[in-house]
Amino acid sequence: MSGPVAIEVLEVVDGGVEATIQDAGRPNAARLGVPPGGACDPMGLAIANVLVGNACDRPALEVFLGGTALRALVELTLGVGGGDLGLVRGTGERVEPGEAISVTAGDALRFTGGPDARAYLAVPGGFVGERVLGSVSTLVAAGFGGHGGRVLAGGDRLAAPVPALLPEPLPWPTTGGPSRRHEVRILRGPHARPAGGSLEALTGGAWRVASADRMALRLDGPPIDTGTVELPSHGVTFGTIQLPADGRPIVLLADHQTTGGYPVIAVAISADRSVLAQLRPGDDVTFRPVSLADAVAALRALREALAAGERAVREAAAWDDLWRSAQG
Amino acid sequence: MGDSAVLATLDGGDVVALARRAQALARSLDGLRRDDDRWGLAVPGAASVLVPFDPLALDPADAARAVARIGRQPVVDSSPGDRRVHDVPVRYGGESGPDLDAVAAAVGLTPADVVDLHASVAYEVLFLGFQPGFGYLGELPAQLVLPRRETPRPRVPAGSVAIADRFTAIYPLPSPGGWHLIGQTEVALFDAAREEPVLLRAGDSVRFVPLGDR
Repeated sequence: MSGPVAIEVLEVVDGGVEATIQDAGRPNAARLGVPPGGACDPMGLAIANVLVGNACDRPALEVFLGGTALRALVELTLGVGGGDLGLVRGTGERVEPGEAISVTAGDALRFTGGPDARAYLAVPGGFVGERVLGSVSTLVAAGFGGHGGRVLAGGDRLAAPVPALLPEPLPWPTTGGPSRRHEVRILRGPHARPAGGSLEALTGGAWRVASADRMALRLDGPPIDTGTVELPSHGVTFGTIQLPADGRPIVLLADHQTTGGYPVIAVAISADRSVLAQLRPGDDVTFRPVSLADAVAALRALREALAAGERAVREAAAWDDLWRSAQG
Repeated sequence: MGDSAVLATLDGGDVVALARRAQALARSLDGLRRDDDRWGLAVPGAASVLVPFDPLALDPADAARAVARIGRQPVVDSSPGDRRVHDVPVRYGGESGPDLDAVAAAVGLTPADVVDLHASVAYEVLFLGFQPGFGYLGELPAQLVLPRRETPRPRVPAGSVAIADRFTAIYPLPSPGGWHLIGQTEVALFDAAREEPVLLRAGDSVRFVPLGDR
């Protein structure tokens, strides 16, 4: 691969459950049957990136659940975003999401497991990876993108074009407020039975996450009957809630198949994609219907919070002009 | 379809007609998108088009109305400029097509007749979905129409030529699959290393060419 020189910055000591390189994905590839992919928690990706002076969409490491362990190969600043996966440094000191930390060669980092499902680790300049259809995001099911199209394993080395130690990195300004970790706001789907039934069954009680991967969450609970088994294949989105024949809902995430034929009884609001991304197998989740106006307002509030945080970090950070101009 | 996409469904017409109308509607929406960056790239399906948009720039109700308005416009023949023809050599049956004999039995033909019938049609790529590069090809001859397998296979090899309902298709990548596997091809429908990773485009034509003895 021709291009800028890349410097190895991190070594993977243990790949953990699933660690992959993800950026903002391929929003315009669905017509080819290629999922949008990218970070399951777009806010987590954005925060990790902004903390190290990057644009929001640079390739970062997405870590799923606990077990992933890394070692720094050079002096480097890292940004951490997304959920709490129990990240600790070699010293045993915890690193919270929303922090930027500086490490030196040999320093260890380990995700020991926490209440959330996904965390993001960003480096200045973003990680280098295989670019396919305009993005470095990894699609493991198809074996392309990121680090050889696969999950990371012990011995892998991650590179960046401009590793940097940033002076006085500042944390993400916290917005406070109660955590709604396990409640997802939804809109009625195109195939919810109008006379009640499937939507009420979905929102009537808690569901357990039976399994989770980058493609979807599969839920367990009292089966819902839609009365329809299957429809002509149609485009679907992140957050689409489908009802397969067994009546147990499937919630699509970033690597969802681009078309599906199961009835869509609800769609999670865009602002709650991060909530979906943080659900672990075994977690309980409830769904709450909201209005379209509420959904749009929630998304606007999220975008404004991101913009405000970005401004605060960039204005206050005493970074080199050289570094800023290297961002392009 | 949520706060950031409109799902426009079409009805009336056979499998091929509906898919073509969906493609035409998607192309009309591409025109809208050229001058208006509030719209995402529309995704045509079997009988629908999913139209993404930015809900912070475009009111969802206005988006739905705009899509409906474009859907009502008469369809000008806006077929894509360059339809390609793909000749796909296939080794039918045996280990390459583990379901060929079962399909033949189910439809009351000999395996050789199933192969001849399958290979006798120039199929149209109706839309892509399910996997990178997976094209739904139609329409399958009526005598070969069967529902999907009751039990999907956990792993279908890449290059598998398969049939289900009114479609035929080639699996670009290994994956779980519920279609009936009747043959195998070496043609790569998806290759990340190619400049254009996906081989098929909606509107292209596909002919299957039986190889050697069955």
